[in-house]
Amino acid sequence: MLVKSIRWRMQLWQAFLLVCILTGFGATAYKLHRSQRFGQIDEDLGRRVATLSEDVRSSFPLRPPPGPPPLEPEPGFDPGRRMEFGQGFGPPPRRPPEERGPRRPPENPFEPRDVQLSAESSSLFSSVEPDDFYYAIWSRSGVLLTRSTNAPPDLTLPDRADGDVRIRTRTRGVCREAYHFTELGECVLSGRSIRADLDAIQRLAGLLVLAGGAVLMLGLWGGWLLAGRALRPVEVIGAAASRISAGNLAERIDIAETDSELGRLARVLNSTFARLEASFATQQQFVADASHELRTPIAVLIAEAQATLVRPREAGEYRATLDTCLETAQRMRRLTEQLLQLARLDTGQEVFECHLCDLAETARTAVERVRPLASERGIAIECNLTRAEANADPERIGQVVVNLLSNAIRFNRQHGVIRVRSGAENGAAFLSVADTGIGIAEADFEHIFDRFYRGDSARTHASGGTGLGLAISRAIVAAHGGSIAVSSRAGEGSEFVVQLPTTNSP
Amino acid sequence: MRILVVEDEPHLLRSLAKALREEGYAVDTAAAGDDGLFKAESYDYDAIVLDVMLPGMDGWQLLERLRRRKPTPVLMLTARDAPRDRVRGLDTGADDYLVKPFDLSELLARIRALIRRGAGKPWPRIEIRDIVIDVKSRTVTRAGQPVWLTAREYAILEYLAYHRGEVVTRTALYEHLMDESDDTLSNLVDVHVFGIRKKLGADLIATRRGHGYCIEI
Repeated sequence: MLVKSIRWRMQLWQAFLLVCILTGFGATAYKLHRSQRFGQIDEDLGRRVATLSEDVRSSFPLRPPPGPPPLEPEPGFDPGRRMEFGQGFGPPPRRPPEERGPRRPPENPFEPRDVQLSAESSSLFSSVEPDDFYYAIWSRSGVLLTRSTNAPPDLTLPDRADGDVRIRTRTRGVCREAYHFTELGECVLSGRSIRADLDAIQRLAGLLVLAGGAVLMLGLWGGWLLAGRALRPVEVIGAAASRISAGNLAERIDIAETDSELGRLARVLNSTFARLEASFATQQQFVADASHELRTPIAVLIAEAQATLVRPREAGEYRATLDTCLETAQRMRRLTEQLLQLARLDTGQEVFECHLCDLAETARTAVERVRPLASERGIAIECNLTRAEANADPERIGQVVVNLLSNAIRFNRQHGVIRVRSGAENGAAFLSVADTGIGIAEADFEHIFDRFYRGDSARTHASGGTGLGLAISRAIVAAHGGSIAVSSRAGEGSEFVVQLPTTNSP
Repeated sequence: MRILVVEDEPHLLRSLAKALREEGYAVDTAAAGDDGLFKAESYDYDAIVLDVMLPGMDGWQLLERLRRRKPTPVLMLTARDAPRDRVRGLDTGADDYLVKPFDLSELLARIRALIRRGAGKPWPRIEIRDIVIDVKSRTVTRAGQPVWLTAREYAILEYLAYHRGEVVTRTALYEHLMDESDDTLSNLVDVHVFGIRKKLGADLIATRRGHGYCIEI
């Protein structure tokens, strides 16, 4: 439920990212600090070891010459140490004078027994505090030669890696120790307790965790506020959009920031609303028109019947009333059929039985159907029909032609002419109906195919028209994949041209 | 009472005119907006029945232009029943509104009410001393006894009663009681007034020489 809210999702992501970043940062800081601290310790220890090594060297100035190691190990020497001490072993050095008593008797006569500490070393190891630097020196054979008083009792001789003369370090319990094997095999070790350092590092870790937690909280709080701020326009847009969709489509979302992403979103929504509104308006107009067209004949029926039934009448009056009612009912039938046909065309439910047929033949049939109506008004129909094959439903196309012809008769002048032509042009069949009537006013031109649209001239000249004929004609032609075009000169007449593809299934 | 009917559907126009004439109104008709406006501005109709969808000029425009010059009561007749259409109709200055298809008796009742209100007499009974005119049933009684009047006599009496206390000229009577198809014979009104006086008493309608007739208060 919570995760469905974008704000919460953003918050969770932010928390995740923050935790990752803080953890990485804290861990790095911790490691850096620790290694720096240990580096410092190691450096101090190393310096002391180096000084002690110098002392050892100066205590035993006679260094064995470089050469192959003696084959014979020292007596009593541990076999495991053989290799260790075999290296760099030479002729016995001169025995140095002993300043301090040896802790243990020498096991090897060539071993130095004691080490002379230089003044520098003494100053380095001046303190006797248990936590401060201590030292120890072992002979080549691993005998402890000397050690500081504060050295821990469990001090052990470090392992020696082969041929390694570098200063090495080790951590033993809470002690950090650096040691060095001289070229001759003496081992010099310096160390100190790092308890205080470890505690300090521990404190730092705690501090890092605390600070990280605080930063995380602060970040989350800020992120929550920011997310709220960033999402507020979305909420505003959403509220406006739901208000609009619930009620007034004419309203628009106020676009405060036109260039931001949200501004674009609002613009897209606004244009969607505009299109919806237009489509609703068209729909409403259609419904209003349809209800007007359907109600008017009903009004006629009711008014006519009621007016007649008010009092007894002559037979002729009843007859006239019935004539009016019948005529009106037929108009309603026509209108209903056309509305239903339009609905079928709109939803693609109208069934077309298309096959290759001659439009000239269709036109001829249509002309014969309307000829009586034309001659009633003294209108001549001139045909110039050449073969025009098209893949079409002849009945529906015939309906279109009859409709165009009816219009041509209705809007023609007395004793006018209608010219019907058909033929093939540019791979398409065409059929044209031209009249010598009143033409179409410029204002009406773009609307004549609209449903229920009737220009003023149509209203005054053409009682009986439903205002749907051209809309249906266009829908039928469009369903065939064809087009219907109109050209007109006011006062001279109009020409409608239907074009249908020759070979193309609708 | 003279009524103008503006309606482009010819059948409806014809049956409305017929029904109204049978009710004793003088009825003029117009099938287009511009024609309707011309007639509405030319005569003082007692009421106008106006369709909205008209060629030439629609009902809204006609009403708007008429209202600049005349307060004639107008009943809008339309097939549009959306509330905003009704609101628009009433806001433009229509006095009443009827949606097609309508009931003829309702239309007639609304026209009667319009005319009464237009004359400032919203009560459907007019009493002059012991004479009672029932506008609804178009009957007249004198001291409780029904008096039979011809349609013209009734129309003249009703018009004079609606304009009680005013001097109504002969021309006004012609204009309101005869429609455009009637022959105007100048002495016809005098004949009808004579008939009314004979049936309801000579002192009901006073003659103002050179001016016209008057029912005094």
